[in-house]
Formats: sequence, C-alpha cells, structure tokens
Amino acid sequence: MINIQDIRDTARDMLAKGEVRAVIGYRRGTRGMLAEPAFITSPEQADDLVWDPTCFHNLSLYLVEDRKFLAHLNKSSDAPIAVIAKGCDARSIVVLLQEHYFKREDVYIIGVSCEGTGVVDERKLASHLNGFQASNAVFDGDDFVFTTAQGEKRLPAREVMADRCLECRNPFPKENNVVFGEDKTGRELEAPFAALARFEAQGTGERWDFWSHHFDRCIRCFACRSVCPMCYCDECVVDSITFPVTPATTAEEKANRIRWIDRSATRSENITYLMTRAMHLAGRCTDCGECERACPVNVPIRLLNNKMEREAREKFGFEPGASIGGPSLVASFLDSDPGDFIR
Amino acid sequence: MSEQQAYEPKVVAFLCKWCSSAGSDLAGVSRIQYPANATPITIPCTGAMSPMYILSAFNKGADGVLVSGCHIGDCHYIEGNYLARRKMHLTMELLKFIGVEPDRFRMSWVSAAEGAKFAQVVTDFINDLEPLGPQDKLKKVVSS
Amino acid sequence: MEKILDKKQIDGWIAALTDWEIHAPVLEDGIWAYQPVSGTVRLDHPNTKQSPKEFAFPQREIFFSFEQIKGEAPRLTQVLPKTPHYAVFGVRPCDGRGVPRMDKVFTDHVEDPYYNARRKNVAYVGLACNKPPSPNCFCLSVGGSPVSTDGLDVQLTDMGDRYFVKAVTETGKTMMAAASSLFAEPSAADKKQLKQIHADAVAYPQRKINDPDGAPAKLEASFDSPLWEEMARACIGCGICTFLCPTCHCFDINDEVQNKAPLKGQRVRTWDNCQFPDFTMHSSGHNPRENTAARLRQRVNHKFQYFHKNFGMHQCTGCGRCVSECPVGIDIVTVVNKVTENAG
Repeated sequence: MINIQDIRDTARDMLAKGEVRAVIGYRRGTRGMLAEPAFITSPEQADDLVWDPTCFHNLSLYLVEDRKFLAHLNKSSDAPIAVIAKGCDARSIVVLLQEHYFKREDVYIIGVSCEGTGVVDERKLASHLNGFQASNAVFDGDDFVFTTAQGEKRLPAREVMADRCLECRNPFPKENNVVFGEDKTGRELEAPFAALARFEAQGTGERWDFWSHHFDRCIRCFACRSVCPMCYCDECVVDSITFPVTPATTAEEKANRIRWIDRSATRSENITYLMTRAMHLAGRCTDCGECERACPVNVPIRLLNNKMEREAREKFGFEPGASIGGPSLVASFLDSDPGDFIR
Repeated sequence: MSEQQAYEPKVVAFLCKWCSSAGSDLAGVSRIQYPANATPITIPCTGAMSPMYILSAFNKGADGVLVSGCHIGDCHYIEGNYLARRKMHLTMELLKFIGVEPDRFRMSWVSAAEGAKFAQVVTDFINDLEPLGPQDKLKKVVSS
Repeated sequence: MEKILDKKQIDGWIAALTDWEIHAPVLEDGIWAYQPVSGTVRLDHPNTKQSPKEFAFPQREIFFSFEQIKGEAPRLTQVLPKTPHYAVFGVRPCDGRGVPRMDKVFTDHVEDPYYNARRKNVAYVGLACNKPPSPNCFCLSVGGSPVSTDGLDVQLTDMGDRYFVKAVTETGKTMMAAASSLFAEPSAADKKQLKQIHADAVAYPQRKINDPDGAPAKLEASFDSPLWEEMARACIGCGICTFLCPTCHCFDINDEVQNKAPLKGQRVRTWDNCQFPDFTMHSSGHNPRENTAARLRQRVNHKFQYFHKNFGMHQCTGCGRCVSECPVGIDIVTVVNKVTENAG
C-alpha cells in the first residue's frame, strides 16, 4: 500500500528546491466523500495531498489548462510542473506528448500505482445506498468503508470499483519520473472490455433501443468534453463559436457559418455530438473514465470510447498512450489494415 | 388513394475527385442507366473524409451514405485512401455499434476508368437500401 | 386545510386525481428523476438529480414556426405550449422555493407567455425533509427551511406510517378534495408529532453559509479579489451546476431550420449556460468573461448579490446540487464563505 507521506515528502522537497513550479495533486474536498484537484505551489501545502479511492480525476487535464494559460500570456514555463498520475492518467500524458502539446521536460510525472484496487464508481455506490450519498470513503486493503448519514457501510472493493478499473490492464504508470506503489500490471480483475462485451451481446434492435434511450436523455451540458484532457480544441467543431470575424465579414457570412448541430438537446443533435466526439477520441482515449463519471445523467459514454479502443487494438494492433514516439491511430496505416468491407 | 408510395432512398455519395468522381462522369458519358438516387459530393481525396460529413448526412436525412475513392496504391496523394480505409472502418463500426443498419454506410474503390463499376455500386446500394425503409434514427426532426 | 393520509391510501389519492398527470421521482439509470407514474408514488428519494424547473421552463421551448409558401409572405405561427395538468410529487422545499424565484423572472418581471402557459398547469406536491437528503444541503442559510411551503401547492410530512398533508394553495385544496374520503382529521397527537418532526428537521445540522445577509455587499466589494482565480482553478466549465440548479434560467434563442428551400423551421429557446466559455462571446471575438474565475464569480454573484438587489431575496435555495455534482469539487458554500471572510 502506498504511504501518502512519501508522496507529500516528494512534493514538498521538489517545491522547496524549486525543481518544479507547482504540484497538481489531490486533496480532501469540502463537500463530502470526494477528493478534489489541488494546485500546490508552496512546500507547506504539500501536507494537503491525499491518495484514496476517490482520487478519480485525470489531472493531466490541468496540464492542458496550464499550457493554454501560458500560451494566452505568451509565456513559456521556467520550471516543469509536477502532476500526480495513475496508470490511465499517465497514458493520457503520453498521448498529449505524442501530439506535441507540451514537451516531456515540461512535466514531472509523480506516478501512483493503483496496485490491487482502483477508484470508486459513484453510480455503483449509489445503487447500494438507494441514491443517497456518502461523506467519506477509505480502502482498508480489502473493502471500501463508506460513512453515510445512516452509519458506516462496508462493501467489498470489487463491488463498487469502476468498470474501467476492474478491466484495467495497466494500473501502473509506466511513463513517470518517480513512482509509488507496486507494479501490478496484468492483475486483470475482470476481462478487458468486459462491459463492452456484455453490451455487444445484444442485437441491432436492442442496441438502438439502448442508445436512443440514452441519446434522448443527454442534456448537452458538455461535461464529458470539458473533463476530457484530449478535448483540447480551442473551438469544438460542434460549437462553431469563434468564427473569425474581421471588419470585412458580412452579415450573410455570419449567418451562414457552418453549424453542424442545433443547440437543442434533442436526439439527432445529441447523436451527432456524441458520435463525433467518440470518433475524435479514437486512438487517443486512455479510458480514464472521467467522461462517464462527470455525466450528470449517467449516459454510458465510456462504451463508445471503449468500442473505438477495442477496434484499434484488435483490427490495427494499436494501443493509445503506449509510448511517446508512437503514431496516431488515424494518421497512420498498415498494409494489413482490414479492407474487406470495401467494395 | 395510393397503397404505398414507392420509397426512393436518398443517398449522399462522397466521391474522390481523381478517381471515383471521374468514374461517375464516365458512367454518364457512356450513357449507362443506373438509379439517380445518389447526390454526389466531390472531395479532393477519401483521406479528407471526416466522420462528421457522414454523421451530418444522416442528420440531414440521408438514407444511405457512400464513400468512394481510388484503389489502394493508386491514390493521387499517395496515402489518402490508406488513411480513409482506417477512419471509415472505425466510423462504420461505431454506426453499427449504436444500432444503425450496417447496409446504410458503404465504401468502394472505383477508378476513373470504372464507369460501369460505379453504376453497379450505386445500383446495388439502392437495392440494399430499399427494404430498410427511410432512415429515421439519426435524422433531425424539427417538430412541435 | 390540514389532514392525515395513511401511506397505504396514497395510491387511492393518485387514482382520484384523474384530471392530473402524476409525476414523481423514479430511480432509473442510477439517478432519481421526475417521470410520469401511475398506480403508486414512492417518496423515499433523496432529491432528484435535475430540479423540477423543467415543468415550467423546459430545455427546449418552441416559440413559433416559420414556413415559406410559394408566392406568399413567410408564415409565422406562434406555438404556445399545451400541457396537461402536471401534479409533481416529492418536491423538496428547496426546489419549492425555486418556483417563486423563477416566477419572479418569467411572470412578475416580464410576462413570458410560454412559461406562464406551462406554469399555470403545474401543481407542486412537496415533501418536507425530516433529515437533509444530501450532505450538502444548506437551505437554512439562504432563508429557507426543510419544512418550508413556499412555492408548493401541498406539503406532505412523513410521519412514519402516514403523511401529514397541508394544503398551501387553492389548487392544493382542490387536489385533496378529489379524494376527501381518504383523508382523516389530524388528532392533537398528530399535530404534536408534526411539530416535533419539524423542529427536529430544522435543528438538524446542515452546511452553513456564515454571513448570508452580508454576502451581497461583501461580494460587491470583492469583485477584483484574487480569490476568484484560486477558487476557480479546478473549474472545467462543464455547466453541470447551472443546468441542475432550480433557479438558473439563462437561455439562448436560435432558428432551427428543417428545410432550406422552401424555408421551413422553428424559432427555439434552449437552456444556455454562463459557465460555457462562449456565453459572453461577442461577434468580434472579444469575451469579457474569458476565464473560469470570471464565470464562477458571475454565477456566485448572480445567486447572492444581483438577484438579491433586484428582488430582495437570494436566488440560491440551498439545494446543494451544484456542490454535490461538480466533478471537481467547486463548493459554493466554501466559495461564499471564503469571499465574505476576506472581504475588504
């Protein structure tokens, strides 16, 4: 098991020596069970850092925010920024490095292994608590122990762990500058893509019933997009908001700018948005699960990304975030790529 | 009072400029008769096909979408169709995944000399689309 | 009108409300949401994920349709909503208080015909909170209470095997009269129990905003505070807080075109969100609220200063949804407390 004090000491040390300008990690939130992102800039704040089963956030998102912030100010960083990264998060960082979003020396990766466990899935927890919330969660080596208004509730970790953790093949951040915890790669608590396989056991009609039901429910809050480190486009294709306007732009041009989808959260528009997003993430999504966790109405978006991931793996031998110099899925090809579907 | 109006599938066909679009021209010039249901949109190369175009075509009510380009090895831009092969495969799988009938999306390699093949591809596509009926899953409906 | 309704009789009451379409919280896909129900109503929910503001203020509202008929001027046809009488059961007091706040904007301040056409057809049957449904409730801090009847037509209090039912409006009385035989007169013991339940409810600890009365002035004084950037550091601009809030009501209006030639389509109002980066984007490309700090500051100020200045009450009703549902833990209670503490 990881000793949080080791992580705190490392952070404190690096900040004191000026080796990094900030440490992005997790700290206790004020609103109940969940950890929240912490932005530590001075050594004393290092004691705020925590590590527990509610540290689900993919903190590489804040590396993107930081980079955008610096770009906006036309500055470059004088020292790297440190970030605490689980296996999935570290792979997100690799994808960002593959895409040259920042340089390797700009980021100091403090890896944390999930070892034999993972993060809590609030949905699964809610089903045990009839939709009520817990105010605290700890992992004692076997079980998660939750504090609720009705008292303590102990649940076997496997029952409330996120699907992506159960299916995870890489609970260890391979790309790191320092890493805490044991390497349990290959622990496979459940078969990879198990949730996807369960879904695909259904026929076409059932699949459509399932997805049309969820596409109807989406409220287009764009939380899935906001929380994803890979959705870093300054202007998302479905928004078409920052249409460049000069004094010469006519009213007609403004009125006729491309609008791929309407604002209404109706089925057809939601489908275009969600499918486009899944396509834009093909080969880039590292299954951090944040999109699905953030969704306020529990649309099972992860399945869409997972489908693309499995296609990439099985048909093209491609694994997102495997190595920094690796190719992008859709900007590369192999002679052996399947082409039987083409007439 | 009619029994049932003959349903005519509406197809949007994205054709690469150098091969398939020329191939469709050859079909026309050769006076080959084939169904007129496909609206052609010329793109520079199938490598430029964005999945958004396909989704948008379905959103606007297309019953079927065809993407056609140069044969492997013959791409005017050398690699475009290799990239398309991958991207279109992923798009097709995602559409099937959510329950769209697989026959609604089709891809073909048609060269500038294959006027007859182009006509055949379109004919086969329309024939396969007819029993599926109008596409109503992804189509935008602005209604009260 | 105050009555007792045995819990086993609630099915009978629902059945008697033949003029109404009953909606109640249902747990589906892992979340509690208002759905049409028939037969019975379960009232064992914490609070619904989304607020009941959708009944009068839906995500999408059609204003009018337009159609170009050949040779004629374009035809515009107003589309006023025709909704059934909705009886929404299980509305928590915080959401109940959200109703008059929405009314202030769409009825008192301006008469919105679409909102009002829907609003007059909705009845809210509330459920008092014997205990806070969420660890993040703070209704008491914003002038509310777990037993408030503000905005409701009927209030139910759970008394174990029965409900204490109180009509708040004439509509509420009418609803109770539909099944008058099922309601009994409350005894003195019933009334005593109700009093105790309500007293316990109000005494139950909640999150606390330390200086709600001082908030408007202190927020005004803190406009340029560097605290906003610190508190908004984790914000990802997702918009969940705003969409789930019972009183957030900003909207966008767009024309949705079904067909370009001949022209056919509708002018539609949809929810908009001040947390979206493009909310205040000008067509020149300038954005006066160009970072999360400015947008967080905007939302908090709207809730605790601007609305207060316009209408004499906080817009926030303390439901705690924005706190519980924020993916990164931005906590409006912590934010307001921090700002008021540090106000110059």
